[in-house]
Amino acid sequence: MKQPKIQIRDLTLFYGEKMALNSISMEIPEKEVTAFIGPSGCGKSTFLRTLNRMNDLIPNVRITGEVLVDSLNIYDKQIDVVNLRKKVGMVFQKSNPFTKSIYENVAYGPKINGIHDRKKLEVIVETSLQKAFIWEEVKDRLHDSAMGLSGGQQQRMCIARALAVNPEIILMDEPASALDPISTAKIEELIFELKKNYTIVIVTHNMQQAARVSDLTAFFYLGELVEYGKTRKIFTTPDKKQTEDYITGRFG
Amino acid sequence: MERHFEQELDKLNKRILKMGNLVSEQVHNALEALLTCNNELAQQVINTDNKVDKLDVKIDKLCQRIFALTQPVATDLRLIMSALKMNNDLERLGDLAVNISAKIEGISDYKEILTELHVDELAQMTDLIVKDVITILNTRNTAFVRDIFLSANAIEERVQAISARIIEEMMHKTEVIVVATNLMIILTQIDRMADYSTNIAESVVFVVEGRMIKHNKKSFLESDTSG
Repeated sequence: MKQPKIQIRDLTLFYGEKMALNSISMEIPEKEVTAFIGPSGCGKSTFLRTLNRMNDLIPNVRITGEVLVDSLNIYDKQIDVVNLRKKVGMVFQKSNPFTKSIYENVAYGPKINGIHDRKKLEVIVETSLQKAFIWEEVKDRLHDSAMGLSGGQQQRMCIARALAVNPEIILMDEPASALDPISTAKIEELIFELKKNYTIVIVTHNMQQAARVSDLTAFFYLGELVEYGKTRKIFTTPDKKQTEDYITGRFG
Repeated sequence: MERHFEQELDKLNKRILKMGNLVSEQVHNALEALLTCNNELAQQVINTDNKVDKLDVKIDKLCQRIFALTQPVATDLRLIMSALKMNNDLERLGDLAVNISAKIEGISDYKEILTELHVDELAQMTDLIVKDVITILNTRNTAFVRDIFLSANAIEERVQAISARIIEEMMHKTEVIVVATNLMIILTQIDRMADYSTNIAESVVFVVEGRMIKHNKKSFLESDTSG
């Protein structure tokens, strides 16, 4: 396994009285794709959101344990959450473009971070769109509204927007679940390319997608991490019966 | 709720087992025909081979359909991969039974030599190993895989010993060369029957335990003390 980029130690999360994550410990390696799978309500999305403190925004959430990104505990009081989210970007299930032009969507993050030089912004927008494999499709209409893009294009633009602030980790919460097979294949190819430079964590309900894109797979059930290992092992000879039953569709 | 997929797997299991029983019967009849020099029974084995071939194609097609439509994983994946392989091994076992049957006429004038060389014992061992491996295939009880490997080794040793005696005979009596050659061919088929039986046993271990033990039987025998 490569160098761990994220280390989770004994992480427990409560929504009010309800325990949603129970003492999760795992290491997520650098520049690989790690997939979280499990039935609805198993805690996988909640867990993904703890990795850039998105759960801070939800009332009544109580978290214990540690999440270390590059060996720093992101739940330490002195951690700047804005900087953290720059480093740990996120792509959501439903693409969420701002009602602005394609250019403005991608330039938004860098601008917030204080970059206003037009030339610099242009370079960032172009390279980000290139990295997200959408540049060729939009280069002639950068100033058109992003709302005019297809669902698949919007999602890739949102990935470009996440890349524009130069993150090191990208969290993806079912990034292709609302897309057709061709757009899904493009997103999967993109994930494959992105892992050369970024650490990627993806939540997916699509088991075959997890099998296709990820190096490692973690199976969650009822807030617990049941099994975590190489994807090729999980999908051929899982150790736990629960994992076996879930991935073969015998429950869940 | 039973998955539709479960029905497909059930169908596959049943067909593999049907193939196993059919081939086991073919092997039994071929060996019986050999020991009794029964040309009629030998011909029956040859005629029945098309049944084996038809079932072979049917199983291949079913596996192909399951792969294409259900993208199986874990145990299901191992089962279907192995079903393809076991089907192939069973079909080859059937071919070997046909090969033996085709040579029986060529040795029928020298029936007594079979007892003299203890080919009858060898045939019994071979009949048993094929029957046993079909039982393992049916019960998925891998505890007996070890016995299959040991029997296969014993068969191989017997074949070598008998072959050495035949070669010696041939050197001294040129008149036996034709029958001896036929017998050597039959022995090769028997040796291969033991090989295919071990292949099938290995596949069952892969399905049940996820372990690939092919090319590594020695360490399996050393590590596995069950049975």
